[in-house]
Amino acid sequence: MVAFLRKNQVLLSSGFCLLLSLYILTAAARGHLKQDPVGPILLWLMRPLQIAAQAATGWIKEIDQRYATVAGFRTENDRLRKRIQELEVERNKLLEAQATNQHLQQLLEFRSHLPSGSITASIIGNSASSWFQSCLLDKGSADGIRKGMAVVTPLGVVGQVVSTTSRSAKVLLITDANSGVDVLVQRTRARGIVSGSLENVTIMKYVKRSEDIQEGDRLITSGLDGVFPKGLMVGTAVKVRKQSLGLFQYVEVMPAVSSAQIEEVLVVGGEPSQAKN
Amino acid sequence: MKLSLLFFAVGMLLVLLQTTFLHLLPLGPVVPDLILVLCVYWGLYYPNVAAVLGSFALGYSVDVVSSPILGLNAFAMSLVFLIVYLSSRSIWLHNPLISAIVVFLASLVKGAALVLVWAVFLSMEGLWTGAARYIIMEALVAAFLAPFVFALLRRGQSYLEQIRVTAE
Repeated sequence: MVAFLRKNQVLLSSGFCLLLSLYILTAAARGHLKQDPVGPILLWLMRPLQIAAQAATGWIKEIDQRYATVAGFRTENDRLRKRIQELEVERNKLLEAQATNQHLQQLLEFRSHLPSGSITASIIGNSASSWFQSCLLDKGSADGIRKGMAVVTPLGVVGQVVSTTSRSAKVLLITDANSGVDVLVQRTRARGIVSGSLENVTIMKYVKRSEDIQEGDRLITSGLDGVFPKGLMVGTAVKVRKQSLGLFQYVEVMPAVSSAQIEEVLVVGGEPSQAKN
Repeated sequence: MKLSLLFFAVGMLLVLLQTTFLHLLPLGPVVPDLILVLCVYWGLYYPNVAAVLGSFALGYSVDVVSSPILGLNAFAMSLVFLIVYLSSRSIWLHNPLISAIVVFLASLVKGAALVLVWAVFLSMEGLWTGAARYIIMEALVAAFLAPFVFALLRRGQSYLEQIRVTAE
């Protein structure tokens, strides 16, 4: 018996891991797995590293952008180039300070229109897999963030909190295939659900063939899903197609917020109410 | 044991890379799956109980940081490890091209496992059409990177071995 176990230990342990993962999957899918015992510890351990790595990523991006800016002046003489570089660095600093100031002012202004208890958070990591569109925030349940809260910016909706630990929160972006936001076409009030897809496009589903929707129409949250406050920008319809068969139209959406370009977000708590967009 | 710990530490570093730096690569929505490459290497060269648990734990870590439902990647990684282990006796990796092919096939297996489990636990429209593109793109990127990652892991191993010999 012992010899058999020893001989087949890899096979047996693989089988055990497969069964364990299926058990976790089933429990998580049915909502029986209320508290993940390992995840919070892992995220707690990774949090400082992710913050550092994200800062380094930002630094690399900045260098890349600075290089692109400077590359345009290569043909100029040395003195001018040096002067331009100095001015450029100074200008970048000023612009950055101005942009940050403006951005924070916008966030403050926007926050005053949202339900009370909105929390400002920074993005510290993106999805580790191509299959999911998600990101990690630097704040968690200790800061008041709970599962199901909406994540927004002044530009529009970002996503929804799907899980939290004490110091971090995982956000499922609206561009993920598993997400869904109840929306209205601002012009005609036609309703639908905006969701991502594995084809890397965001689509508006369940828009009846009879509804009037055109390319360029703005889509806003309806507030009916009980997650996002009403009136927040979700995106713009960029492709509308009435298929020859079926009850619904095909509507492709350009999200208002690109997750790659945002650093700070607001996590909206409290009862959803009308937002001024 | 030391080697398994080293591989696991490298795996955690790869999770960190996949959530940050690798998003800077101009690959669109595809994030290079270096964790899969590591698990294939582990399964081919050092298949033991620690490696099985390590692959499961790395898949689970990916679930914790990005998946909307726990267990998806843990299942896929465990399955990939098992298949690589079972086929390791008949695979002789003597050049980078073969390692790229093995990783390409392993990535296809992982993609198929993800889609299958996804279809069972998370119903979604257009899953199959969208998934096919992702599976192939991810497999191509992983296969391209596999020889480099294999070479780096070999170098790390030799370094460990050198330290061990010096210590003795």
